[in-house]
Amino acid sequence: MIPSPYKASSGEEGLATGLTKVQAGIITIIILVAVVAGVYYMVTQGREAEKPVTVELTGDFETDVVNIGKALAAHGIKEVKYTVWSGGDPNSVMRVYGIVEAAARITKIWGDKGVDVKITVTTRYESDPKIVYSDYISKWTLGQAPDIMANGYVYIASLAEEGYILDLTPYLEKYSDFLEDFYSALVDAMKYKGKIYGIPQDTEARPIYIRKDVAECAGIDLTGLADKVKNGEFTWKDLYDLALKAKNAGCAEWGVIHRKGSAHPDLIQFIFAFEGKLYNDATGKLVLDKEAVYKWFATEKAFADAGLLPSDMMGWDWGKQIHPTVVNGKTLAFIGGVWHWTEWQTKSYYTDPATGEPRPLTAEEVHDFFYYTLFPAGEPGKKPVTLSQPYAWMINSKAGYQNPDFDKLKDLYLKLAFLLVVKASDPDINAIHSIISSHLPVTKSALNLLRDSSWVADLVNLPTIVSGEVKNSISDIVARTANPINVAFLEDATYMLDYTTFTPKHPLYPKLAEFFAEAIDKVLRGTLSPKDAVDFLVSKINADPDLKEAVEIVGEIPSGWSLTG
Amino acid sequence: MPGMRDVEVRSRASEALILLVILAVSLPLITGYSLLILSGFSKSMVTNLDPSSFYPTLMNWILLLQGRTAQFAGIRVNIWGIVANTLVVALGVSALVTLVGSLTGYAVSRMNFAGRKHIMMLLILLHAFPGSVLVVGVAFIYRMFMPPLEYIRFYSFFYVIVARAAIEIPMATWLMKGFFDMIPWEIEWSAIVDGASRFRVWWNVLLPMIKPGVAAVMLFGFLAGWMDLIYVRTFLVDRTLATFIEANAEAEYAYLPLVAVAGTLYLLPTIIFFIAAQRLIFTISVSGIKG
Repeated sequence: MIPSPYKASSGEEGLATGLTKVQAGIITIIILVAVVAGVYYMVTQGREAEKPVTVELTGDFETDVVNIGKALAAHGIKEVKYTVWSGGDPNSVMRVYGIVEAAARITKIWGDKGVDVKITVTTRYESDPKIVYSDYISKWTLGQAPDIMANGYVYIASLAEEGYILDLTPYLEKYSDFLEDFYSALVDAMKYKGKIYGIPQDTEARPIYIRKDVAECAGIDLTGLADKVKNGEFTWKDLYDLALKAKNAGCAEWGVIHRKGSAHPDLIQFIFAFEGKLYNDATGKLVLDKEAVYKWFATEKAFADAGLLPSDMMGWDWGKQIHPTVVNGKTLAFIGGVWHWTEWQTKSYYTDPATGEPRPLTAEEVHDFFYYTLFPAGEPGKKPVTLSQPYAWMINSKAGYQNPDFDKLKDLYLKLAFLLVVKASDPDINAIHSIISSHLPVTKSALNLLRDSSWVADLVNLPTIVSGEVKNSISDIVARTANPINVAFLEDATYMLDYTTFTPKHPLYPKLAEFFAEAIDKVLRGTLSPKDAVDFLVSKINADPDLKEAVEIVGEIPSGWSLTG
Repeated sequence: MPGMRDVEVRSRASEALILLVILAVSLPLITGYSLLILSGFSKSMVTNLDPSSFYPTLMNWILLLQGRTAQFAGIRVNIWGIVANTLVVALGVSALVTLVGSLTGYAVSRMNFAGRKHIMMLLILLHAFPGSVLVVGVAFIYRMFMPPLEYIRFYSFFYVIVARAAIEIPMATWLMKGFFDMIPWEIEWSAIVDGASRFRVWWNVLLPMIKPGVAAVMLFGFLAGWMDLIYVRTFLVDRTLATFIEANAEAEYAYLPLVAVAGTLYLLPTIIFFIAAQRLIFTISVSGIKG
């Protein structure tokens, strides 16, 4: 007979009946004891793991660093790893190397005080900071975001809203002296809903560059122009007249050249120059100021109609068209930024008249070619402006997560990341960044250092830099850019920060800025009149439910206004 | 008889005409690639057909092979590491697609099982979805199985390969099914009569007969992995050439001749792989089955 597999149940019955009451009792007791012991073990272990180690900040940098170092060493940590990401032009690499240098400095302090811990920093730096930002978001949820990121302050709003970056307000309580060294407008830019989420890393102004040689050729006297602009005596109408003069005299192909592709942020200055608004502080809403936007469009249209501004400007190429046109003197004016000053010294945009080969300009040539002023007032009675988009060092709300015992030592890792950023704001690190990338210093002490000519003279050897990696990486750019001409430019341009404006830290602002770009492109190409372009913007905003909710449309298109009167 | 000639032989004139048409159609591609490669050897981009914008230099190649992204300053990147990452993804996708595609292709071609027709229809349906449409769901699954942090780099490679291969597999399966269909049933039958298992038949008898098909599937898999941007960008912790180029091409201060060099480097394996597999693939049009 074939045994049925379903008969097995009868065997189980046999097993059950085979146990005596004593045996069953013993087994039950063993199981109960095991469960109770297991639960007790888990609870106590859990408690141990949950008990975090903390160190109070005192406000004295060295004391704090040593305390944290000792606490880490006491828990068996020999190495702390951090990752820093940033992006931008290649000259601005101190946005990541600043942290590498800070890590070397802190490791040195620990070494001097007998604390056997070191910090290693992994860096990533891309040309496109937007990609760094979007990667930060996509990698954050996967546990792969960097511990520290230097990026535009505009990203603070969305990152803080999501809880991806650390609120630094409690950390800064003891570091108020440190914070006071920064320009207060920059610290305000780091705030979101009243809390500070970033430490300023650099900032900039966006001057109008005017070619001295073109002006001279056209018989234009530039003496005192910057002051006239400052006082609002020289407006866009006056720049239009000069551009026309230069073009008619055959001294330049174009009157003014500006950025391509995006209206943000250079062209947005027009809105402020016509005293328009982009953001309503009271309601927290974006603003479409129809009058100011109309005047912006009409101004550019006037330039384009007179052949002073290319109608396909928004489609030009930076490397092949925009920069070569500017550095080879084919335009009178350029709506640029302070960083272009050293960019022109490190990129081969200039065609050498002797050899016909492209090469970078020298500092002397940049100085000889370019005059600079604020962005002029839109019309008489209004004020000149510039626009800054400070970079911020932001700290991951889980900074240090790659290191051992993160749950337990989280406080130490977060505070150490904060202290890294504090150290990376040392005056010399900030001043070196300012010189090589031609960005404006963010602290008063860095500006003072720039004014110290002996410090600048010694800079080529980078005497204060501790990290070999940083020294190797920036020595060539320092040798090329650390000279009195560039330093004088930075000092000279710093006054522009008194006139600065900021773009709104609103999550939907980038979308609105894209519509601006689309509209101005259509205006320049002649497919929409300035008036129709404003209406086009209104309809674009109304067609998008989110934007419609977030944007206040104010003002009216002025009738009969034109730049040329 | 007048008007009659061998269908296999074309006149010289018509052959020349066909060649001319092919050349004309591929001219934009050839021009584009030539300008890209030329720009890599120039100080400024050769984006128009103007020879005066070509300033010969080897500097861009030297800079890239040193892992630098700019003539001055910039940061050093491990470019060979990036190339290796790209290769791992491409070869991984290629291997997985070929393995799964040829096994599934064999099964749907030769075996009768419940749901066979539905599987084939679903495969076509899946092929209709581009990877970008599925990325949210794929991200959800990625997070569901996320290992501890120390294994995540390995996991991200594994995951990207599996996810990217999954999108290529429907197409590969159909392609392989077509090849298996062309092999006479008798060949397989005789092997089975001789005592070979199904797996042995697949491996020892059938696969060697459809090498062109296998090569084509491998090539498509390789290209899919090599070109992929959205999956490696979203899931891979490390960088590949695609993400490297993307992050360095767009910005206003991007030094484009260097990006052109990276682009040429990005193009190279594709060309090499294609030339190597070309002989195999072109036999498809002639006989379908390699004799």
